[in-house]
Parts: sequence; C-alpha cells; structure tokens
Amino acid sequence: MTPKAFDLAVIGAGPAGSEAAISASELGVETAVVDSYSYAGGQYFRTIPPAFQTAHTKRVADQGLALRRRLRHSAATVYLGTEVWGIFMNKQEGRWWVALDGPDTPCWLRAKSLILAGGAYDKPVAFPGWTLPGVITCGAALIFAKSYRIAPGRRALVTGSGPLVLSAAAHLSRLGIEIVAVCESSKLSPKSILSAPGLLGHPRVLQEAWDCFKSLTSRRIPYKMGWSILEAFGTDHVNQALIGRVDSDGFSIPGTEQRLNVDVIVCGYGLTPNTRLPRMVGCRMSHMTECGGWVPWRDRRLRTSLPNVYVVGDSAGIRGSENAILEGRLSGVVVAGSLGHLSERRVDHLSARITGKLKRTRRLAKTLYSLFPQRPGWASLAKTSTPLCRCEEASLGEIETAVAEGARSLDDVKMVTRAGMGSCQGRMCEGVVFSAVSRALGADGLPQGSIGHYSVRPPLRPLSLGALAKAGPDK
Amino acid sequence: MNRPNRQTDSGRLSASEHSRSITIHFDGHSLGAQEGQTVAAALLAAGITVFRYTFRYHKPRGLFCGMGVCYECLVNIDGETPKRACLIKVRDGMRISTLLDE
Repeated sequence: MTPKAFDLAVIGAGPAGSEAAISASELGVETAVVDSYSYAGGQYFRTIPPAFQTAHTKRVADQGLALRRRLRHSAATVYLGTEVWGIFMNKQEGRWWVALDGPDTPCWLRAKSLILAGGAYDKPVAFPGWTLPGVITCGAALIFAKSYRIAPGRRALVTGSGPLVLSAAAHLSRLGIEIVAVCESSKLSPKSILSAPGLLGHPRVLQEAWDCFKSLTSRRIPYKMGWSILEAFGTDHVNQALIGRVDSDGFSIPGTEQRLNVDVIVCGYGLTPNTRLPRMVGCRMSHMTECGGWVPWRDRRLRTSLPNVYVVGDSAGIRGSENAILEGRLSGVVVAGSLGHLSERRVDHLSARITGKLKRTRRLAKTLYSLFPQRPGWASLAKTSTPLCRCEEASLGEIETAVAEGARSLDDVKMVTRAGMGSCQGRMCEGVVFSAVSRALGADGLPQGSIGHYSVRPPLRPLSLGALAKAGPDK
Repeated sequence: MNRPNRQTDSGRLSASEHSRSITIHFDGHSLGAQEGQTVAAALLAAGITVFRYTFRYHKPRGLFCGMGVCYECLVNIDGETPKRACLIKVRDGMRISTLLDE
C-alpha cells in the first residue's frame, strides 16, 4: 500500500513545530506532524500534572494547554509517541518519504515539504567524574522538579552558565533541597545586565530572573559568579565536588579550589540545537558558537539550502521558545505560499508582521549569549582519562592520540575511537569532542568548521529489527 | 550502592487524589510508585540512582539528560529490549532490572 501523501510533514511538535503545523493547516496545507513524545509542546511546554503545578509553572502550563488545544482543533494529522528514524528523497516522485516508528502509526508518510523542528538539549561539558550517577543536566533537574516534584538528591551543587542554571537552582530550592552553592562561570554586574542591549525591553525575562534570584537569596544560597565545577568524586554515586574560581575565559585559577559534600551535581552550559534531521537530509550547515554549535544555513524565510526544506525553532539555533513560536508561524505561511495557497503579496504581508517580532526575540537571544557565552576554558576541565563519549567510553586521551596520529575531522576521530558510535549516536559527545579536537589541533590557525561534524545516517535512533522489517519495500 | 528514601519531604509525591499508588519491582525488590511517573522518576524517588553498568569499563550510570537524548538511563523492563527509564511510564506490577555489563 502506498503511504499517505501530505503537502507538508512537520517533524517535532514543540513550540516551533506545533505553531508551524497550526499555521500551515489553517492556510489550507495538508499537514502531518510527528513527535516522539506522547504529547505536543516539547520540552518547554511539558505537561505538568495539575497536582504538581505551582504559581511558578502555571503560566507556562496554561500556554502549553492552549497550544495543545489549538493543535488538536487544527486540520493537521498528529502522530504522537512516534520516532522519525529516517527521511529519504524519492526523486521520481519528488517527495520526501518519512520513516516512522510508533505504536499506532503507519511506517511511512510522504510529503512535498518538510519543516524540521527538532528542538534542543543541554550542551554537555565534560569534567572528571561527569559520568557518575548523581551528575545530571539542568534539563533533567528542571523536568524532575517541575513535572514530578522529585528532588534528585538532598545536597546539590548547581553549576554551569546561563539562565537555566539560575532557574534549575531556584526550582530545586523551592522543593526544599539543600543547595550548597550555585557556580556561574560568567561574572555579571548589575550594570552589565541593565546595559545589555534590549534586555530592559523584556520585563518578563528580568522578572523571572529576579524571582529565581530571590528564591536563592532568601534561602541564603550562595550564587558564586566566576566559579565552576572542576571535578566530581564518588564510586557508585557522586559524594563530593571540587569547585574553584575561573578566569574570564573559563580556565580554573589554581589555589582557589574548595571541596563540597554533595549527592547531586546539576550542570548546565546552555543548550545545543538538535540538528540530526537537517544534517541527515543534507542541509548545508555552518558552525556558530553563539547559536549553540552546528546550525543549518537559512534565508530570512527560514528556507534551507534544500528546496522545500525548512528548519525552525531552537534546532536552527538557540533563541528560545518565543522565537520558536514565531518561526513556526512564519514557516507555515511560507510553505502555504510555496504550495500556491497564498499569493506572493499575502505571504509578504503576513511574513512582515512576524519578522518584525522576530527581530526582538533574536536580539534577546544575542544579548543573553553575550552575557553567558561559551568559554574556551570549559574544554580544559576534562583530564586525559575523562570519558568524552559517554556511550563508548572514549577518553580525552584516546581522542588526543587519534589527532596526534593524523585524525583531522570529527568523522576521522569517530572511526578511530568509536566516539559518537554509541546509543545516543553522538548527540552527547559531539560538542565535547569538537572542542577537544579543536584544542588538540591548536585550532587557532584552522577554521573551526573544517573539523566538521559527525555524519548522520538512518536509523536516527536505535531501532528494533522488527520495526525495520515492518518498513520493508513491499509494505 | 542505592540508598532508600532520598526524596525530600517537600518534594514527596504524596498519594494525592490526582495520582494512584502502584507497585513496581526493581531487581526483585518491591517499590511504591505513582501512576503518571516515569520509571526514572519512580526509581529516583526510591533512592535508586544506578540504572546500568557500562559495557567497556563496567562503570555505574544513571539518569543524565532526563529527556531521552543520552541513553544513559537504559534499564530492562518486563524482559524487553533495554528502554530509556526517563521516557517510559510506570505500570502496576512492572518488573525493572539493572542493565548489566554482560
């Protein structure tokens, strides 16, 4: 049986993907939207059981409910709990074939256009002991604190850089967990915050930050700026953290170390775009540290280097949920125009209204990055024996040896060390190994882009043979 | 080593009217859990933090990213292929075991 054909397949139903699907289907585009979670809304609009909602989570939860309701009432076909494990171009037909794996979903769907909205995840930074149970990301801490009201330990160190560190610390402190310190790599003064371009135009962001900050100060939790985790200790579980002062490049300052007894370390160094899908289909990519790593090239209408392929939201660069919503809406309009559902004039008119607002959200993202930039010193935390690839347990030493023996790209390193070949398919280690290879090559003289990225091939996720067999050619 | 009851009092998932208490089994021990929780949430609430041991160096691993990206929280569930504990919801009577390095 030939799979059902749509005008548009949207992959990812977070803020960007949901808005894209709603906007496109409202304009007459026959749309399918797929998400691996059992609900739409992504990480930002995670469902929170009513029993666990607080004043701090209610506004976002209500927004999430409204988004889900609009998606449900839209004409879009929604496949939830469904992984996309491959996307293939059928050249004869000129359509994309999207391979699905889900409980009650077809194995394939076909579409003329693709909107890829894979979101983002915590950008890992490797330090000695970072693989110990009890060391978790800010994302994990926020999910457990907000969605389940479960404290991941009793005594926590929260470390890293950026707004999520503050937010995770505040949410954990409100659960009553003891936070021994919050280490923020950047050093900010009230003046640097108030003079940051455009930040005063976002009172809600400032208010949220202030609320978080008050949650910490009212509990006398030290917010240590210019400090960082250096090492985690423990055998079967983390029991101690070594922290120290870092300079403005993020390198540790010897002689400032302190040991803290903790049973959980929450670390967050900003987010990195999930670009598996655009890379797999062959979109041209560029490395932009300020956007979180590798991002697809796009024009102002969010078109990639491939015809009829769009990438929106944080998977095209870390700019936040409000930006993702706007980009989703814009892509829906542009797709509708490309399929002839809207006149060029109408597309221009609708786009202009959205791009005006996008200027504001992008400026905010830039400002936040300038306050909490990625620091070169973060890559110096790992020791020779520290595993950089958590799945294959390839250490920094092995990666440096590979480079010394002639590896020049991420794929070279992958072939020699197996870094990036485990269950997570390189999602966790790619940025860490990228930094390590850059350092080992003395990348000052080399364009960072020349190191490249891991090649991405289907299946995107570990896939059972049964699922693969079901997708066979005669099905 | 896994220690029981690491959950703080104010973080405790009370058996409220909104979620039903169920029983799950981890490595042969019975644990209370709340319907709607993920396996990872139920294990963490019970103080269990080691979910698997690595294949190469037999090191303990547990929850890391919490959102299905890192595959560190793989556990055996009801005799199926290893699953990510942070994504799978608990069911009454579910049998979970540590993913060993064998």
